[in-house]
Amino acid sequence: MKKDLIEKALLVTAFFSIVFAQPVLARVKLVALPERGAAVIRMENPRATLIEEERVLTLQKGINKVDFSWKGVSIDEDSIRLKVLSHPYKATLLAVSYPPDEDALVWDIHSDGALEVAVRISYLLSDIDRLVKYRAMADQNETGINLKGFLVIRNFSGEEFEKALVFLDQERAFAKNIRQNETKQLLLFEKKEVPVQKVWTFDAGIHPWDPESENAAQGIPVVYRISNDKLSNLGGFDLLAGKIRIFQKDGHGSGIFLGEDSIGRVPVGERMDIYIGDSRDIVVTQRKMKERRINIRRNSKNRTVLYDTDEMIKAKIENFKKQPATLTMIQHIPGQWDMLNCSFEYNLRDANTVEFRIDLPPGAKKELIMHYNRRNVR
Amino acid sequence: MIGGTTMRHALVCILLFSALFWNFPALAKVDLVTLPQRDAVRLTIYNSSDLTLVRDTRALTLRKGLNRLQFSWANTLIDPTSLDMRPKRQADQVEILEISFPAQGKNLGIWNVESRVAGNLPVEITYLTSGLSWRAFYVATLGRDEKSMDLKGYIRVINNSGEGYEDSEIRLIVGKINLLDEIATLARRKFPYGTPMTFKADREPGREPARPARLAKMKLEKAVSVLSERPKEIKKEALSEYFLYSIEGRETIPDRWAKRLLSFEATGVPVTNLYKYDPARFGDKVTRFLSFKNDAEHRLGKTPIPGGTLKAYKKLGEEGYLTYEGGSKFKYIPVGEDIELNLGSTSDLIVEPRLLSHESSDYTFDKQGDISGWREIQKIEIEVKNTRPVPCQIEITRNFSSGSWQIEKSGDFDSFEKLDLKRVRFKLDMKPGEKRTFSYVLTAFHGLQADKRLMKSSG
Repeated sequence: MKKDLIEKALLVTAFFSIVFAQPVLARVKLVALPERGAAVIRMENPRATLIEEERVLTLQKGINKVDFSWKGVSIDEDSIRLKVLSHPYKATLLAVSYPPDEDALVWDIHSDGALEVAVRISYLLSDIDRLVKYRAMADQNETGINLKGFLVIRNFSGEEFEKALVFLDQERAFAKNIRQNETKQLLLFEKKEVPVQKVWTFDAGIHPWDPESENAAQGIPVVYRISNDKLSNLGGFDLLAGKIRIFQKDGHGSGIFLGEDSIGRVPVGERMDIYIGDSRDIVVTQRKMKERRINIRRNSKNRTVLYDTDEMIKAKIENFKKQPATLTMIQHIPGQWDMLNCSFEYNLRDANTVEFRIDLPPGAKKELIMHYNRRNVR
Repeated sequence: MIGGTTMRHALVCILLFSALFWNFPALAKVDLVTLPQRDAVRLTIYNSSDLTLVRDTRALTLRKGLNRLQFSWANTLIDPTSLDMRPKRQADQVEILEISFPAQGKNLGIWNVESRVAGNLPVEITYLTSGLSWRAFYVATLGRDEKSMDLKGYIRVINNSGEGYEDSEIRLIVGKINLLDEIATLARRKFPYGTPMTFKADREPGREPARPARLAKMKLEKAVSVLSERPKEIKKEALSEYFLYSIEGRETIPDRWAKRLLSFEATGVPVTNLYKYDPARFGDKVTRFLSFKNDAEHRLGKTPIPGGTLKAYKKLGEEGYLTYEGGSKFKYIPVGEDIELNLGSTSDLIVEPRLLSHESSDYTFDKQGDISGWREIQKIEIEVKNTRPVPCQIEITRNFSSGSWQIEKSGDFDSFEKLDLKRVRFKLDMKPGEKRTFSYVLTAFHGLQADKRLMKSSG
């Protein structure tokens, strides 16, 4: 391997025997350079990467000073740990000291005799991390996808790793060479025929009521809903947070890009909604046709203290598509209320949120009338 | 050079390494074995974002065992995080292990491919790039009677991607997709996925997009496709929430060139001259619209009409001279939806509302003697004049300040509609040169009066 490449950004583990441990102004380092053995890179935690590496130290009887320096490498000083693996009772770590103005520390290790000991050095390393990304290919009728997950390792830490074992979680590991300033992308998994449900949602609290008067074409957001469970050919592991790009087969041996979203971690058994884009072929125009006070109650000064309202909402829902769709429509009614008349069945998401599921055949035009009284408004 | 042409100053290429070179550091990339040509390119260009999906088919010569493939994209606007490769056949014999972006090479990726077979294998490489775009625009020519028009839809495809595309299949997407990052931003990142300390990476001066100072040297004949005897057709089909337009045959679009194609043509589309008076939306002047519907009755309706600008002309006389009537930007129009093209304000249709009287009455007082309710009565007369030599329809929208009101209408109008709580609309079909007057009395209820009154059922 090219030494000059590695040495630029090198973790140097040098050690002194007691003979050389005289206090001198300029510390002399690098008596021996033990080979780094197996290195493990743990990336379970997306906020910090843990490195565990093993080296063999040749110790003299008595106190040994082992110098560990990390110039050009962003190590969290406080995270550095040393564990003696072989002869733990014969070699004891006595003290750790930090020389001034250096990225280094010195371990004082007492040894019962002249020994070769294996040690494990672990530390948190900055500027090396991983991303997870997904790529999905939906079938033409949008009922299933082929889902691929990728792991991207970005190494700008200053260190290079030879055949390091990269752990993404407790179970999944990959052996990789990782160079400084290198980005590597590898396939984590591929799952075929993962069922998806396509969901259109209009939320009267978010979306404009009168799309005609808007300058740009308004769309109804469309999401792909996927469950991380066995029924969906998934469910073996949590899906880690990352960016997902969705493509769709176009029936001509090729595909189009449908859109992208970022997903949070999806534990096994949970579902995710991937927002791909907006449908401009489903149009909702909503209007308030009535709003007045009724059942007014007054105090002795004839001031209104309590009243009800009589309100009517009219929403026109049009499907200009050649395919059927089921629109989820969310309406918000604050406070206490009674529905007097409603042209569609609804579910309560909560006391103030009404949810409709409206089936829209191709070309359908439907009208929602919602007539309600709000009670005891002050 | 790929394909032996000189046009590709921005090189997208693949080098193939045999497994022999596997252990050499990435710097020694002179040992290329094969330089496969690009066989076919399919571009899918989006218009809601600066985004194009490129599908590039190439024939690779693979050896048994581990193959290294180098892909480079200097001077282009490719998003490296989108790079993907798949074998077009024998997919079970070929495994694409990983792609790495080495430190030593900028705009360079290396695929490790494990093959259980040796020989030729077509692969499809896909990626997203920015710099290609398309837009729709329209030209309408109204007949002299303004009852119908000829409508032509055009598409203009523009290539500023830094790379020339020869003999490419071109497809366009109509629709609005969700994008988290701009492709151009991803393409300009120093490292493909950025760095863990992203704030530092952002400060790095971004590489300028491909924009060589020299002019595109492409000869005209190259930019022009092989001319057939009829204009190319554009096939349209629905996919998911989007529409896919596929341009017939293949096109060559060199870098920094643009191309115009006819998207559709409809003649004799019936139109309504529609005028609107709605001060809340358009100010005090009457605004002119051309109204029609995207359906079969209007000789349209096969596909949605992508948003764009429209320029409307009118035929003058027999010699086919034209006059420019106005221009308009319009939004995406689904199949079956009404279209109203705003041609701007006009003064040849006049709407003059006049307040004839104004009074308040029926005051009620609370126990302190303060006003607790009242009603306001306004009498308004509206005069409408069509000074044009053609018939036209006008919509007059009135906005009220109170949600509690009643209206008494009288005079000369054709229809009336309550739009919502505070808006009503009168419609009139005006003959050429006609003048009509109508009036209404609006009683608006305030305070307690509004509470007491039972509103009339909605119109």
